[in-house]
Amino acid sequence: MSRPRIDPRAARASHLVSTAGALRPRLDLGRTGPVSPTGRPRRDPRREMAVSRVSSDGRPRFDRSHQGSFEGLAPSNKTVVSPAPAAPKLRIVAEPAFLVFAIMEAPGGRLTRFDRQLLGAAHRLVGSSGEGAVAAIAFSPIADLGTAGADRSLIVEADGASASGRARLLRGLVESFAPRHVLFAEEGESADLARRLSVSMGEPILTDVEHLGPRQAIRATKGRMAEEVGEPPRLMTLGEDRAAPYGGETCGARTLAFSEEAAPIESDDAILSDEFIPGDPARLTLSETDFVVSAGNGVTDFDHFRKLAAALKGTPGASRVVCDAGLMPREAQVGASGTVLAGDCYLALGIAGAPQHLQGIAACEHVIAVNTDLHAAMIERAGLSIIQDAQLVMPALLKLLEERGS
Amino acid sequence: MKTVVLVSGARHPVSRRPALTRLEAQAASLAAKLGGTVRGLHAGPSDDQLREALGHGLGEADWLEIEDRVDPVPALIDHLKAAAPDIVIAGRRGEGTGDTGLVPYALAEALDMPIIADVVGVSPGAGSGTVSIEQALKKGARRRLVVQLPVLVTIHPLAPPPSPFAFAAARRGTIRHERIEATGLPTAKPSPFVERPYRARPKMMRQAGAGQAGEKAVLVGPTPEEAAERILAFLEDNGIRRYSA
Ligand SMILES: Cc1cc2nc3c(=O)[nH]c(=O)nc-3n(C[C@H](O)[C@H](O)[C@H](O)COP(=O)(O)OP(=O)(O)OC[C@H]3O[C@@H](n4cnc5c(N)ncnc54)[C@H](O)[C@@H]3O)c2cc1C
Repeated sequence: MSRPRIDPRAARASHLVSTAGALRPRLDLGRTGPVSPTGRPRRDPRREMAVSRVSSDGRPRFDRSHQGSFEGLAPSNKTVVSPAPAAPKLRIVAEPAFLVFAIMEAPGGRLTRFDRQLLGAAHRLVGSSGEGAVAAIAFSPIADLGTAGADRSLIVEADGASASGRARLLRGLVESFAPRHVLFAEEGESADLARRLSVSMGEPILTDVEHLGPRQAIRATKGRMAEEVGEPPRLMTLGEDRAAPYGGETCGARTLAFSEEAAPIESDDAILSDEFIPGDPARLTLSETDFVVSAGNGVTDFDHFRKLAAALKGTPGASRVVCDAGLMPREAQVGASGTVLAGDCYLALGIAGAPQHLQGIAACEHVIAVNTDLHAAMIERAGLSIIQDAQLVMPALLKLLEERGS
Repeated sequence: MKTVVLVSGARHPVSRRPALTRLEAQAASLAAKLGGTVRGLHAGPSDDQLREALGHGLGEADWLEIEDRVDPVPALIDHLKAAAPDIVIAGRRGEGTGDTGLVPYALAEALDMPIIADVVGVSPGAGSGTVSIEQALKKGARRRLVVQLPVLVTIHPLAPPPSPFAFAAARRGTIRHERIEATGLPTAKPSPFVERPYRARPKMMRQAGAGQAGEKAVLVGPTPEEAAERILAFLEDNGIRRYSA
């Protein structure tokens, strides 16, 4: 077997530094040379020496026992000062040239996935130039706006206001701040608010946008036979899962100052009474609820399971094995051939986590697994895993809930 | 009580033929259950959708015939001003036309009516001239509003399912036809957007645990009490539920 020969000219050429304008060719021998044709990295004796050098001042001293690996060792000096942990970078837009409003829903003061996507989309509209700023507008206080990507925040406490009252308030804000774009979620109250604003301001709106970039917005029309394309207009509603959430450095989330007179909160004369009825988790369908307590083949004590689901204020669900056995109704089946959940949280008791089952909980943000098997796929998926018998955990949970008096 | 059900010029998503949307069928059934005089209303080039709506419980309907390219909103406004209904019921989005869901809002603005979106139930209110409306919110919550008439409502998909289509009722129902000349009406505003054939764009994948702090806790063999504590703490910390009294 003959070893492939090294081409000295090619090796030399790879060390060549840019020769443009220079009279003499200049070489940088410190640069890592080419990998030899056998695929073995070539030895660099100078680097090896540099690596084994212990003291950098005065007389050079070398420690040859430190030659373990020379490959990819960048620092030539062994006494490297480890970089101080950098303070998390903060994106500050001091004097924004323009604003992009993102209207948050944030039920219970927490940003939803959709809210984060909206802020991500707003950042795409602002661009990375650092001229514009994303302003999060909300009607109740929210935590964590900075990490989610809000350069400015404007919280108008108008939780009790009617939809038309909010629309008037928002109109006041839009008129006084003149944002370049206002982004809404195409869902529930935001979708309603967007249309009210559009009609009352006489501004065109692009609804249920499927693609949003700084220069182009696209939405489906005519029952998905055609699409409308154009420059992003001022008012837009974004479809769910159409933009990535913001993933950059933490933003300032400074408060935007506004005067109450510019945006008065008025009540609606036509609405005589307004009563909020929270959803009853026990009677909700799986596709509607936000929290599912689910039983798998590892659960044998269904009396306790049903009591637990009720006490936790969750909707009962089950894996297919349990539904096939007739222990839970078919409507309770979670998974590919059951219901795909839209909720935030899933408590899996004795469920192995078959792929068909995991498909059903793909959208869940928080998963808790109770299983006796440490290597079950559900443990991999869960944010909190308890390796314990479900039959023991359920009564303990019930007892604890009783003690707390709920 | 006078109710008008708005019927759009929807098209079937597969066959592209004129068809009533499920939301409007739900609206028709809801209006029929509400009682009083109920009429359908459609402005557009054909009355096929209106015929179908008659089969879902509307007795009579008005068809304002306009050309395809003409904006139906002014014709609807003129008609509703004259008819002065107490309740106007519409679907929340069209299907197969513009699909923006803006028409009810434009009507409400022009007629100066309050509009309530995402309604799942309408029943006569306790006082005269009022109506009790149930609105669907997220996570299965509902809001019950008592509203002064007149009011415009849009229907949410969670409203009661439509009554089955009855062919005889569709034949029996009467449609009053009125032809509206386009000359008097403003044509639809030129759109700043270009229309082109649809290209499907996949939605973003939902990632497991996105938005979560990232740390995963695995407790091997805790005592049941400790496990229970941790589960409740996890639920409360992430704002899922509160369990204190
Ligand atoms: C076409 C097709 C479609 C399917 N669709 C679905 C679907 O929609 N939904 C669905 O769920 N399945 C579906 N399946 C079935 C799926 O493949 C699995 O068989 C099923 O999900 C397994 O359910 P399981 O995890 O409850 O049961 P097992 O796989 O039996 O798992 C039981 C788990 O409980 C644990 N365990 C046992 N005892 C205890 C204890 N005392 N305490 C705590 N943990 C304990 C075990 O360690 C194990 O991990 C489908 C299958 C096919 C072929």
